[in-house]
Amino acid sequence: MGNLIEVRDVSKTFRVSKRGKGIPGMVANLFVPRYEKRHAVKNVSFEIEEGEMVGFIGPNGAGKSTTIKMLSGILYPDGGSLQVAGYIPYRQRREYVSKIGVVFGQKSQLQWDLPVIDSFELLKAIYRIPEEVYRKNLDRYTEMLNMGGFLNQPVRQLSLGQRMRADIVAALLHSPRIVFFDEPTIGVDVVGKEVIRSFLRELNKRDRLTMIFTTHDMQDIEKTCRRLLIIDDGSKVYDGSLEGIKAKYGTTRQLDVEFSHSIEVRPIDHVRIQELDAYKKRFYFENTKIELQELMNHLLSEYPVRDLNITEPAIEGIIRKIYQGEEVGA
Amino acid sequence: MRLTPYFAYAKKSFLGRSAYRFDHLMGIFSTCLQVFIYWNIYRALYGQRTEVDGITLAMVTTHFILSMGLKEAFYTDDGYLSRKIRDGSIATELLRPISFKGRMLAENMGNALFNLIFRFIPAVLISVCIVGIRPPADAKSVLLFAVSAVLGYGVLWAISFACQMTAFWLINTWSLFTVKNVFVKVLSGSMLPLWFMPEWMRGVLRATPFSSIYFTPVQIYLGQLSAEEIGWRCLVQLLWAAGIFLLGDLLWRRGQKKLVVQGG
Amino acid sequence: MQDNTLKLIGLYMKTTVRSWFQYRVDALLRSVAVFLREAAGVIAIYFTLLKFDELNGWRLPEMMFLYSLLFLTYGILIIFFTGLRDFGAMVRTGKFDRYILRPRGLLFQMIFVNADWFAAVGHGGLGILLFVISAGRVGIQWNAGTVVYYVLAVAGGVLIQGALFLFLATLNIFLMETGSLKELLYYDTRKFAGYPISIFHKAIQGFMIYVVPMAFVNYFPAQFLLRKPDMAGFPEVFLYLTPVVGVGTYLLSYLFWRYGLRYYKSSGN
Repeated sequence: MGNLIEVRDVSKTFRVSKRGKGIPGMVANLFVPRYEKRHAVKNVSFEIEEGEMVGFIGPNGAGKSTTIKMLSGILYPDGGSLQVAGYIPYRQRREYVSKIGVVFGQKSQLQWDLPVIDSFELLKAIYRIPEEVYRKNLDRYTEMLNMGGFLNQPVRQLSLGQRMRADIVAALLHSPRIVFFDEPTIGVDVVGKEVIRSFLRELNKRDRLTMIFTTHDMQDIEKTCRRLLIIDDGSKVYDGSLEGIKAKYGTTRQLDVEFSHSIEVRPIDHVRIQELDAYKKRFYFENTKIELQELMNHLLSEYPVRDLNITEPAIEGIIRKIYQGEEVGA
Repeated sequence: MRLTPYFAYAKKSFLGRSAYRFDHLMGIFSTCLQVFIYWNIYRALYGQRTEVDGITLAMVTTHFILSMGLKEAFYTDDGYLSRKIRDGSIATELLRPISFKGRMLAENMGNALFNLIFRFIPAVLISVCIVGIRPPADAKSVLLFAVSAVLGYGVLWAISFACQMTAFWLINTWSLFTVKNVFVKVLSGSMLPLWFMPEWMRGVLRATPFSSIYFTPVQIYLGQLSAEEIGWRCLVQLLWAAGIFLLGDLLWRRGQKKLVVQGG
Repeated sequence: MQDNTLKLIGLYMKTTVRSWFQYRVDALLRSVAVFLREAAGVIAIYFTLLKFDELNGWRLPEMMFLYSLLFLTYGILIIFFTGLRDFGAMVRTGKFDRYILRPRGLLFQMIFVNADWFAAVGHGGLGILLFVISAGRVGIQWNAGTVVYYVLAVAGGVLIQGALFLFLATLNIFLMETGSLKELLYYDTRKFAGYPISIFHKAIQGFMIYVVPMAFVNYFPAQFLLRKPDMAGFPEVFLYLTPVVGVGTYLLSYLFWRYGLRYYKSSGN
């Protein structure tokens, strides 16, 4: 089947205007602008196969939105090559964009003052969607997302969750092969988020629709994506499964212990000890270096333990650590 | 009433204006250009004549320099209350231990003072260099011009204030303010000198506050009014400013009640 | 394919009109307000000419005819070029990216996707009113020739201003703040274009002929139909150039637009 998206050594540099000081600087800037270079994306490569759901994450300004803009044809790269579904996005814009859908969680593409259905009809004309395809998609998606009740309501009267569902359908009407989601659940309540996520999972399972997410909500990623691409400071720092990242970086465990009276714990190899209060202490350890059983046996035999509690690392914590460039778990 | 917080608001808006330098320079340039254009127009209208109804071209030019200059300085933020009501922040504003009306005035005056120093003065100086100005009748006229200009600003501000109060009832005040600005533009004399209005229009004008805004100060500067007339005109300015403000204040009280009833 | 495009244009129009009609009372008030705002300049001229009778040989009905061309062309223009008028905000908020993601020409979308009907009704209504009042009183022989000339002149006038809009819109890709520049280059210039340019200083005349060619929107077309003596100061050929200037400036602006888009795609914003 091959790859649907191929990105090879793609780089993007921006010129950032350097402002002079005061009015002379401003006037000078008006006529002879001065710039300095900023590398937004540096030699990034990856492939995505048809039917994958990929979470694309990174801190603000890391280069993920630049990469998405290049993939969707809004920007062109300075170096490297980029191919999506057999197209070069920035060269064959009009043909290419009919094959993709884009959902911006914060920027609706619906007509604010008009009923939802009017925006859909407009998109049908813009994308030249054949009547039967339009009917089929509309009926199917409105049923799956339970939108029948507000199809004829003006967008301005919808709740955020309803509006987001309508925006997602708007991006799917022309049967795209790839859909990009930028913060698709932002501001939506918990139930609404779950509706959207299960819809997307269903769509991926049945139609093998390829989806790429950029989001700050790790729940979105954990509940939809099997693959994670992390970009930081313009470079790719991780590409693999969600479980993989836990195995690779999430090796730190923490054990909270409550003792029956205040005691002093002697240092233990490969374990960092934190005082929580007079009776409670927290033990951080690498499960590659010391086993849980071993540590527990040691504590239980040496000290008067009242209670034990072990915690798995949360994905948010791991990713924050990757961003911070910390030697994870040390 | 403590004045310190109001000074703080005035100062804040004064300093806030200095951020947009390019826009600022363009604004001054645009004002000078308009003075120059009007000078061109009236030069053509006068043709060979030295005066029309006792008014010389130099007086007309002076009128445009001063009224256009004052227009630059006279700042009112017409959308202020309407924005606060639409985004709901009016409720918290009213809970603060200072007068909301006082704050509106303080912020507008901070802006006006900034414009007076950094727009009115340069625009007038540049315009004078290009098209010339009639010197004031005497030093007293300049002083009284300044007093009358402040009162003129009072009238303009009161009109804006009273119109803003309609925001409690109208959703959108854009149309109302656009129409208000048409009246100010045409009837205050900023666009055409009121000397040349037909007699019946001047009768209408006497019954409205608009000529108090720009035209009265200009007439004082030119020495067209006797001492007694100046006294009367300034009193008229004061009465308009106070009267319209009181009307606005009445609307303000009603509007607040409406806000409370709606639980806004 | 052609048929589909026409249908889409119709649908865009329907959408803007329907959005506009969502707030019927407000829409009506806004249109009236725009009408009055623009009429202020005409009222000023009316009162001025009551006193002075004529301005460099132009009497009141002739001045109104001169003005009517300005408002008519703007009324038509704003139906098509609202998207370019608001282009700066679209670039700043990133809304423009959405149009890049749709399989239609970018300029096509900018032209048809939005229309400010308040302005169209306000300006256009004033233009029609002034035309109706003045067209019969200024001694124009309305025949096939003059009608064709008039239609071409209006089309040319729309194109010239469209070119200015397109140029100023493209400028937004390069500069952050263009508000005051726009004010000066277009709106200030337009304010004065209601007067016969012969009364202005030579530098301003040159500006309105060669830099921001508003003189070809109303002054020269009106001169072709009215033949006032102050035309002596300008080359005769200017009377016929409006459509040419329209097409020429529009092409130049279009090239600048293409260049701007290339820049946008390489730099973002």
